[in-house]
Amino acid sequence: MTLLSALGPGDPMIRVEGITKYYLGATVLDGVTLDIPSGSNLGLMGPGGAGKSLLLKIIAGLVEPDQGRVLVDGHDVGTLDAHKLAQLRFNIGMVFQNYALFDSMNVGENIAFPLRQRGGVPEEEIQARVREQLALVGLPGIAHQYPRELSGGMKKRVSFCRAVIPAPPLLFYDDPTAGLDPVTSSKIFIHLRRMQQDGGTTAITISHDIDGIKPICDRFALLDHGRLVFHGTRDEIEASDDRLVRQFWDGFSDD
Amino acid sequence: MSQPAQPGLAGRFLSAIGEPVVYTWREVTGVARMAALVFQYMLRGKIRWDAVAAQMYEIGNKSIVFITFTLGFLGMILVFQAGFQAEKITGDLQLLGALFLQILLREFAPTITALMIATRVGTGIAAEIGSMVVTEQVDAMRMNSAPPVEYLVVPRFIAGTIMMVVLVIYAVLVCYLAGMFTGLYAFNVNPHTFVNFAFVSVLDVAVCLVKALAYGMAIPLVASHTGLRTHGGSAGVGWATTQSVVSCSLSVVILDFILSGLSYPLLAAAG
Ligand SMILES: Nc1ncnc2c1ncn2[C@@H]1O[C@H](COP(=O)(O)OP(=O)(O)OP(=O)(O)O)[C@@H](O)[C@H]1O
Ligand SMILES: [Mg+2]
Repeated sequence: MTLLSALGPGDPMIRVEGITKYYLGATVLDGVTLDIPSGSNLGLMGPGGAGKSLLLKIIAGLVEPDQGRVLVDGHDVGTLDAHKLAQLRFNIGMVFQNYALFDSMNVGENIAFPLRQRGGVPEEEIQARVREQLALVGLPGIAHQYPRELSGGMKKRVSFCRAVIPAPPLLFYDDPTAGLDPVTSSKIFIHLRRMQQDGGTTAITISHDIDGIKPICDRFALLDHGRLVFHGTRDEIEASDDRLVRQFWDGFSDD
Repeated sequence: MSQPAQPGLAGRFLSAIGEPVVYTWREVTGVARMAALVFQYMLRGKIRWDAVAAQMYEIGNKSIVFITFTLGFLGMILVFQAGFQAEKITGDLQLLGALFLQILLREFAPTITALMIATRVGTGIAAEIGSMVVTEQVDAMRMNSAPPVEYLVVPRFIAGTIMMVVLVIYAVLVCYLAGMFTGLYAFNVNPHTFVNFAFVSVLDVAVCLVKALAYGMAIPLVASHTGLRTHGGSAGVGWATTQSVVSCSLSVVILDFILSGLSYPLLAAAG
């Protein structure tokens, strides 16, 4: 059971309004405002420490902003009660930067967790879907292993499986291909694009692999020191003459 | 409003007092709110018994040897010291065992056991939950609508409470037996004389169990609360672990003070 959409016609799936966050006397997010239309995939770029992961957590309602608000599917994330927030989150799959796999569960149980939480899926189907997901990311037969036995790249892929297995309409990826070889990396990106084309998912993809996200995202945003330097479509980013945008997009540094 | 760059002596004194007071207040209200949540989940039957069993096993496994040793040695030391003093003053050791059992039930067994559990189990809970926070596992739970209090705190709370009562009863036995052998070998007090229930009433047993229950509920709550408030990477886990020992031990001592104060009139009235 999920929360009913509260979107009006033409409303964006995700609306971020003036998000500001202070941390230890510093402004780590500074009035970030952006819209993500339904069915689009936003590529979120920026140097390390720019606040990308933090922004994603604020959008997911995991961290409270000091100013501003976030609307997801028309619901103000900050004012939903615990029950409604839980229902809204059944619509969201999330890959965490640090994998966030449950140490106490094996790979299979980790990936099955979102399905078991949502309920209503028979056990054989859960098992079949876990196997299918693992095969898709090139890790067949590791369901019985524990996260501590896996490499960083393997954990990232398991984390990816766990996020996408319930086929949620919203997907948040925090660096989904970090630590992966180029072949596996492109497999993940292709899988990601297929889900979007077939399922019409709305996604935010944080990545340092700009060439990797160029073909899969249709909107791009660049965050620097907590400020949104750029936000727009592919055509707009290609036309932008902002120096940092050019450096990120063209992939070189001119100083 | 402009602020003086350097606060005066009075200012520094006040902030030195104020900071811990504010911290303690926030801690106490936070733990109280969490306790309310835990009871809500329990009343709604949201108890994962497999997790409770795993936690009980873990607590028992971690503590049994530790408690056997500390309470065993403590029993020997207490009886030796008491016997030594009594021998000098009255020379009469008839009531040694009876008095020992009374103080053991009212005070030593529950409180020392709880202090041991606070260091052994409390730190474990804080470190475990704290590292789940910094590795984003708790965020992942929340994203899958698995409330951390229901999944992590409720099982530890139930297991901690049950195991504390069990371990306190075990501690009484160990400590008493160790005391009895010390009486026999150090002072030649016959076990028949040592085992004497004259000074022990149902009320003493009740005080012992009520204290065990109170500590058993407080330690997992305080430790879990500290763990869930961890932030800032692995250094944060270190902070949570240390903070948990301090907060858990402090809550044991304060609860002891309150419960002893409340039970004293009852014990006095009963003779
Ligand atoms: N829960 C939080 N509350 C407030 N501030 C936070 C929180 N978590 C992280 N920060 C701060 O936000 C800043 C940005 O961190 P963040 O992890 O979002 O960077 P990032 O853009 O994801 O970097 P990277 O590319 O290295 O992953 C950091 O200075 C960090 O200290
Ligand atoms: Mg990040």
